[in-house]
Amino acid sequence: MAQRMAQAAKLLIGVWIAGVAVAMFLVLPQYEGLGNAGRIIIMHVPTAWVSVLAFAVSALFSGLYLWRGRTEDDDYATAAAESGFLFTVLATVTGAIFSQVVWGIYWNWDPRQTSIFVLLLIYAALFALRSAIDDPTRRRQLSAVYSLFAFVTVPFLIFVAPRVSESTLHPNCAFMQGSTCEGVDIGVGKLGLLGDRKIELVSLIQTGDVVTAEVLVSEPGLSDDIRLTPSFNIVNQEILDRPNFPGLRYHLILQEVDLANQRARLNIEAPGTGLLDNSRTLLTFLAAIFGFTALFFWMLYVRATLLGVQWALARKQGAHG
Amino acid sequence: MQQPTAIRLPALLAAAWAIFIKDLRSELRTRYAINALVLFAASAAVAVSLGVGFIGVRRSAEYLLIQSTLLWIALLFAALNGLSRGFVYEEETRTIAALRLAAPPIAVYLGKFLFNLALLVLLDTVTCLLFIVMVRVEVGSPLAFILVLAAGGLCLATATTILAAIIARASFKSALFAVLAFPLLVPPLIIAIQSTALTLDNNALALALPGIRTLIAYAVATFVASLMLFRFVWEA
Repeated sequence: MAQRMAQAAKLLIGVWIAGVAVAMFLVLPQYEGLGNAGRIIIMHVPTAWVSVLAFAVSALFSGLYLWRGRTEDDDYATAAAESGFLFTVLATVTGAIFSQVVWGIYWNWDPRQTSIFVLLLIYAALFALRSAIDDPTRRRQLSAVYSLFAFVTVPFLIFVAPRVSESTLHPNCAFMQGSTCEGVDIGVGKLGLLGDRKIELVSLIQTGDVVTAEVLVSEPGLSDDIRLTPSFNIVNQEILDRPNFPGLRYHLILQEVDLANQRARLNIEAPGTGLLDNSRTLLTFLAAIFGFTALFFWMLYVRATLLGVQWALARKQGAHG
Repeated sequence: MQQPTAIRLPALLAAAWAIFIKDLRSELRTRYAINALVLFAASAAVAVSLGVGFIGVRRSAEYLLIQSTLLWIALLFAALNGLSRGFVYEEETRTIAALRLAAPPIAVYLGKFLFNLALLVLLDTVTCLLFIVMVRVEVGSPLAFILVLAAGGLCLATATTILAAIIARASFKSALFAVLAFPLLVPPLIIAIQSTALTLDNNALALALPGIRTLIAYAVATFVASLMLFRFVWEA
């Protein structure tokens, strides 16, 4: 019965993931500024989520092993770490490809890149530890302790994040609904910082309902200032022109205008802002997350069962030979 | 688990102290860990001073960050060289069984932790003095500098003591120790490097305080986790 269920689950997950892969190219609309590279997000985010989930599952089963001492729990912890490692590699690679296409750089020690790198190192260390201990009981117990101990230290990467996040590439405020980039509120003639760019609001000019801001942007690495003119319709509060930052696929937008005080709120908009507003994209995205999570649990089950069989065989051979 | 479940605290601390004193005595006889740590720190400081110790480097913010990074690299690798000694030594001289009979696991952990802490205080002092003299690190806010170093050293000790106990039971001990310890030390290392760079400038106590707090939180979390998990390492 269990075998039948596993067989059915395998087929179902296979069809589901295939459907997600097809939808990724056919159902998803193409996004301005991202091109076809934007489609990789459908793979990248779920694999990153599964790599963290796998780490938690591995720590959970390690804890259960220490508590109950059943070898099955250790099989599950190992299986979770092994499949988690695969997903971590996938998330790193898809992220680096996307980063190169959109931001022109493969690797930047962005907080999330640092975290996933540490996660890769922890998995690698866990495998190194397992291979360095011969006695099976001791191996199980010590790797369970390491797995749990590492799980305690990982949350501290969150505290590190604000310290290195000035160089973040991840569009926190672009993809996550409900969270917004603050932007910068400056008066005419004043200087401000937007990310790592220095901006100067030169003037606000009103023509009819439309206000156009003249902004001087100096990019780190470029010697000359660049003049950008984002605009905003004050009657229906609509953002009109979204000029690109030079060499990047980020836009400069005018978010709010206060003509009486000659102030304006300027902000960065990443390509794909409001990506998930589109229901087709949202559904494909959720389907991908569900599919990859199911795939992970299926891999976990199969690998853990296999480890159990291997262990039983090894014991049998030991008993006879 | 053979020990009675309720061990009185004073007895526990006395046992931990006895183990600490024993380690200190045997260390002073062989001076293995002390030699390894101090010589490593000295070589690192000399190597660094050959490259960046000359007169005429401007004290920009980047240079302070580079100095603090080099200091922490020296501290980290010296620590990874010497701190596994406490448990590996017991395994090599086959005294683990005796220790297991003589004291409850938590007392063993606390004793070894104190010993590592003592080694780190020595290491911190020697490395910093050498860096101040040879690499011409000028410390703008001494109190903040000492606090960051103390908190960072505490993190190194809490995170690595239990790992030393783990690798003492495995093969390829010294290589494995660095492999296991590094990923766990990345968060405190980033914070310690950046906070130390701040303290090289003047009046940096208020700026460095959030970093020190995070380091202490990390040390407390890993210390408590070690206390809970050490029993399983010791029994394995």
